Amino acid sequence: MRDVAIVGCGMTRFGRREEDLLGLLTEASLAALDDAGRGQGPVDALLVANMGSGILNHQTGVASALTDRLSLLPAPAESIENGPASGASAIKNAFLAIASGLYDVILVAGGEKMRAVTGWEATDFVASMSHPQGEYPYGITLPALAGMFARLHMAKYGVTSEHLAMVALKNHEHGALNPFAHIQQAVSMEGILHRPEAVVNNPPIAEPLRMFDCCPVSDGAAAVLLCAAEKAAEFPRPPIRIAGFGQATDTHAVHQRQDPLDLKAVRLASQAAFKMAGLKPGDIDVAELHDAFTILEIVESEQAGFFPVGRGHRALEKGQTRLNGKLPINPSGGLKARGHPVGATGVAQIVELVWQLRGQAGERQVDGAVNGFSCNFGGFGNNVLAFVLSGE
Amino acid sequence: MANLEHILRPPERDLPPYPAKFIFLATGEKMVVRQAAREEVPALLEAIDPLRTVVRDFYDIVAARTFAELLGWQRYRVRDEYCLVGLIDGQLVGLVNGRTLSPKVGISYHTLALRRGVRVGAHLFASKMEYHIEYLKQQYVYITAESPIGFRRWMLEYDLIQRPDIPHELGGVDVWTLTPELYHASKDRLVVGERPVPEDLMRKAETIQVPTEDQLVKQVTGKAKEGNS
Amino acid sequence: MKPMTGYQCTECGRVYHPARAVCLECGGRRFSELPLEDEGVLVTFTRLHALPMDFHTRTLMLGIVEFPSGVRALGQLGAEEVEMGMKMRPRWEIVRVLEGQKISGLKFYPVVD
Repeated sequence: MRDVAIVGCGMTRFGRREEDLLGLLTEASLAALDDAGRGQGPVDALLVANMGSGILNHQTGVASALTDRLSLLPAPAESIENGPASGASAIKNAFLAIASGLYDVILVAGGEKMRAVTGWEATDFVASMSHPQGEYPYGITLPALAGMFARLHMAKYGVTSEHLAMVALKNHEHGALNPFAHIQQAVSMEGILHRPEAVVNNPPIAEPLRMFDCCPVSDGAAAVLLCAAEKAAEFPRPPIRIAGFGQATDTHAVHQRQDPLDLKAVRLASQAAFKMAGLKPGDIDVAELHDAFTILEIVESEQAGFFPVGRGHRALEKGQTRLNGKLPINPSGGLKARGHPVGATGVAQIVELVWQLRGQAGERQVDGAVNGFSCNFGGFGNNVLAFVLSGE
Repeated sequence: MANLEHILRPPERDLPPYPAKFIFLATGEKMVVRQAAREEVPALLEAIDPLRTVVRDFYDIVAARTFAELLGWQRYRVRDEYCLVGLIDGQLVGLVNGRTLSPKVGISYHTLALRRGVRVGAHLFASKMEYHIEYLKQQYVYITAESPIGFRRWMLEYDLIQRPDIPHELGGVDVWTLTPELYHASKDRLVVGERPVPEDLMRKAETIQVPTEDQLVKQVTGKAKEGNS
Repeated sequence: MKPMTGYQCTECGRVYHPARAVCLECGGRRFSELPLEDEGVLVTFTRLHALPMDFHTRTLMLGIVEFPSGVRALGQLGAEEVEMGMKMRPRWEIVRVLEGQKISGLKFYPVVD
């Protein structure tokens, strides 16, 4: 099995975009190809990560269409759909194809055009991941699942609304330094929590979660060019190795989990990634976690092995997960500020890590970052992927 | 011409003024909400004009109609109209308008947010309702909506009563009414702000500064700076 | 889905709602119907504000209840003032109207002693 490296990356700005899905995917793909010095191709294959093209955009066969747009014909191509973990899944599949020895260079592009529809349609589309008999009919949305989970975790471990707000504050602060972020505006603790005005500034969505605990609905795309490590010298940029990955599934209906408080798939995926990489959580210098809801950043930081279970919020309190902290989490702004075009997120997390490990992250740079970690959370934790990247 | 003005100009009632307040926003910025004077209409029109071609989120129809309403107010062709503006450091970030049909009945016209993401629209709409109920002491406010966002925000949030028997001036569409009872039931949740406005804040809010067309389009449509690492 | 029914694995006895094709514990494929007990404990809940379009109320209470047999179920809650650990009684009611179709499901009410 061969080593696989990332030799090019790029993304569009996330947010409210005019372009359609293929337009966004094209922009990100060209950015990644140009970054790799391979603007005209060729590539051995293309993988597209996307969840909603059929439902939101009335467009199917997106990978084939993108291959044509980029004039990369006759390269093989497919779309990968794994909910919000589509991005990581597509990268994983590209990794497997290259590691097997059958392909050398693969372009992975993740994208989503969510703002083609109203907010309710977007919410309903995301809710389509829920269990069709056991959850969806009741009016369940992803925020509702997150709200119920948050209540349980907060009650057991003493996590407060202020801790959740700290995640939002930190990620907005980071996002303000990221020219690709959907929201580039810092927020204030007083404004979202303490002042009387907070009741309107930061209204409840799914109690105890409020507006600033939930990521925005975004359009956008991100892309990476993967290549067999042994061929990486052909490319101008310093290669960033995918040292390991892991993936695990869990029950569809959240209430059928062994322990509804236990995000087991995050733990299993993370452990597998570290095992494959031959590294430990302590070796990680920078992490991109899946904060679709602020509570998830705290819990993933525990289940990934960075902090003991029930202590993630303490590390947050102490500022350990800020840009200048011991373990910066979501230097990009995370899903909360960078945004969450569902199919793009998993790829965007990797793009940020590549920039960090190359020393190219500008004002967001984590000094001396060598090893990075990402967690891409599908459904409500029923399909999770983790990656360990290394600049060595 | 001058002697026809008395026919064309409707009689005016002296409306009690809206006492200015300030609202601490999510970003930590303070938005002053105050009543606009007729003389300030040209500045408001300058701000609204570029939005008449932004189709997204119904900005075009709201801008076009609000433009007409404010111009009508300025030129004394709309009866008993008012306008409240939201200002951050003197910069216009939103406005709301309406008029009184009679001492007891008010009509809400429009809500136009020029800055997104900090609930300017929600705050200004609430201020408008506050004005009608608490300061104009009205019994009914007739409200309608052009956009689905507006509809959900107001009709559901305030639990408004649908009145299919009353057509709204804005195109004869359905009226939804707010009453003092409904207002007070939701006030704690929806109406915020502090009075009085500190002197230095009020001074900055004296002159309405209009965002440039570029700034406006960027704020409203979300096109931010492009960049690279 | 049959109203108020749990599905019990005939091999190992674990109960599920809704039904499964294969038992998580033992891989068994046969399930017998077991009526849900009349009382369960509220595990967690939320008050949802951002409701799907077909709902015409401003908020919706949702929760997960665990029954003595070990089965858990999600449903709407028929009360605003609830606490984790509260005893709840399941009922089968219309919980949603989707595109004109009435959908029935679980609604939990606090047990009043």
